[in-house]
Amino acid sequence: MKKLDRQRRVDLVSLLSNMKTAIDLLIIVGVISALGTFIPQGQTPDFYLSQYGTWIGKGILLGSLNSLYQSWWYQILIGLLCLSLSVCCYRRLRHARSIKKAASLSFHLAIVIILAGAAWSLGYARSVAVEINAGDKINLANYGFSPSELGLKQFTIDYYPDYQPRQYRSQLQLQGYQGHDYTREISVNHPLQAGILKIYQRSWGWTLKLSDQSGEKVTPLRIKDHDAILLDKAQGLYLQAIFIPDYDPLAGIESKTPLPNNPRLILALVKDDQVQNMAIVPVGNKAQLARYCFRFDGYSYYSGLEIKSDPGVYLVYTGFVFLLIGLIARYWQLFFIRKVD
Amino acid sequence: MEKHLLTLIFLLLLVDVINNLVRLWKNTKLLRNFGSLLGWLTFISFLGLMSFRIIAAHRAPFANMYEFTLLFTGFILIISIILRRTLLSPLFDLAVTLLLLVLLAVTSTISADLQPLMPALQSNWLHIHVATAIIAYGAFAAAFCLGIVYLAKSPDSTHELQQIDQRIYRLVVLGFTFLTFVIITGAIWAEQAWGNWWSWDPKETWSLITWIVYAVYLHARSSRQWKGRKTIWIVVIGFLVVLFTLFGVSILLPGLHSYA
Repeated sequence: MKKLDRQRRVDLVSLLSNMKTAIDLLIIVGVISALGTFIPQGQTPDFYLSQYGTWIGKGILLGSLNSLYQSWWYQILIGLLCLSLSVCCYRRLRHARSIKKAASLSFHLAIVIILAGAAWSLGYARSVAVEINAGDKINLANYGFSPSELGLKQFTIDYYPDYQPRQYRSQLQLQGYQGHDYTREISVNHPLQAGILKIYQRSWGWTLKLSDQSGEKVTPLRIKDHDAILLDKAQGLYLQAIFIPDYDPLAGIESKTPLPNNPRLILALVKDDQVQNMAIVPVGNKAQLARYCFRFDGYSYYSGLEIKSDPGVYLVYTGFVFLLIGLIARYWQLFFIRKVD
Repeated sequence: MEKHLLTLIFLLLLVDVINNLVRLWKNTKLLRNFGSLLGWLTFISFLGLMSFRIIAAHRAPFANMYEFTLLFTGFILIISIILRRTLLSPLFDLAVTLLLLVLLAVTSTISADLQPLMPALQSNWLHIHVATAIIAYGAFAAAFCLGIVYLAKSPDSTHELQQIDQRIYRLVVLGFTFLTFVIITGAIWAEQAWGNWWSWDPKETWSLITWIVYAVYLHARSSRQWKGRKTIWIVVIGFLVVLFTLFGVSILLPGLHSYA
């Protein structure tokens, strides 16, 4: 019985150490990855049932094809590929005496390193999306990072002459992150880096400041552009706010430019997706909507940031270096020395 | 002016295709030299076209699908001019000119509007990423055209086939090396711009699939189990995957590369 087990282990190792197995696994990964590009990923279950019909939709959900690249079976496949490449590399280690063979080894080992980095990221990367108003601060400890204070001093948008966005910029202040302070301007493609923590520019929008003057007490409110807040739960009544930075009566609710040259706020009472009352008000003015009264006090940008710590990415980059070194060392002779296959 | 130059290139290629068709029947030195002249004229017109584009846009022409396809076409043209000097095959010339003609026809259907660079594209990685992609895809395109020549040749012309096979191999190695650069620079850039070095975006997934296809070719060839025609078919399939990655994904599978 023991002999049989040992024989099976030997067979398994010899199967995994065969480069043909790794190639077969690579082809399978390629075909399955292609499948994932044709099935929309990360949609709600209802989407698949309505788009593909009950049977195919259920099949997609049952096989986790709706989140294919994150499914357990896809990750097992990647793990098997990684294992097969590792065994192949180990078996070829003693033969790697020539540059060509060492380069080939480096190349294949690099793929294992990259996949290991990806697995590390999958398990240990932490990513949080936050929206901060200019002048506000947040404590990163509340989001699972090292205790420190992140503040947005200013957010600006640069425009081309035709008002297409050129760049989004956030002036950030990160205080007390692992004993260091950072003051940086970030923009798309230029994140703030503090150790393994990175802060990326992701999105932006308008925050609208209102005062609820419906009762005797004046209550300040903050609402994001296009968002709605619940006013009366029993009646299902919502207040929706739409900001028009550059109002032009001829253009209606379309803003003339994205710049706040003539700001107006549309306030609407909404019930069952139907507008009950609506008003368009400039800054400092009040809107009377049925029994509710709101004053439009002001507006400011908010900056959408992604805060991320991903230790795995450095392992991935190490893999990239090995990959390129291996590739160049393996093939450079083809182009610089004649008659070499 | 840009449109006129594009029409001129199209006409030059059309004449070249006809010339190469005639050469299939009667391959004289005069016709061969005329083909080379047409190739150089096309190249000069192409340089003119790209210069006008750069002056009008005030930036390198790396920003959208139209510009990428033009550069891709231009690079195949350069490789074909280099290969034409030593490879005296009218069939190869015909395959290349036909491919260039098709690519140019596709380019003319894509919007040529001069758009300013959106924030995500404002990075030095853009130039490295696109330039390496053009070299990789251009090398695969030339390997594909040589593959057509290989498959059309009689299996008896062993020495000639070996030479073509060796050229295909070198082109695939060049393309594969640069495709690896494309994927790596894309990953580093994506990490800088979006915070994820890999997002399974359709374009990056199909780039990986292209990489896998050519990796299979390199292994098949080096393991000596597959030889000749079988490996050439992988090169042909590989280029079809390249075309799908370039055009099919952009049209059928929207994602983060929506501008490309």
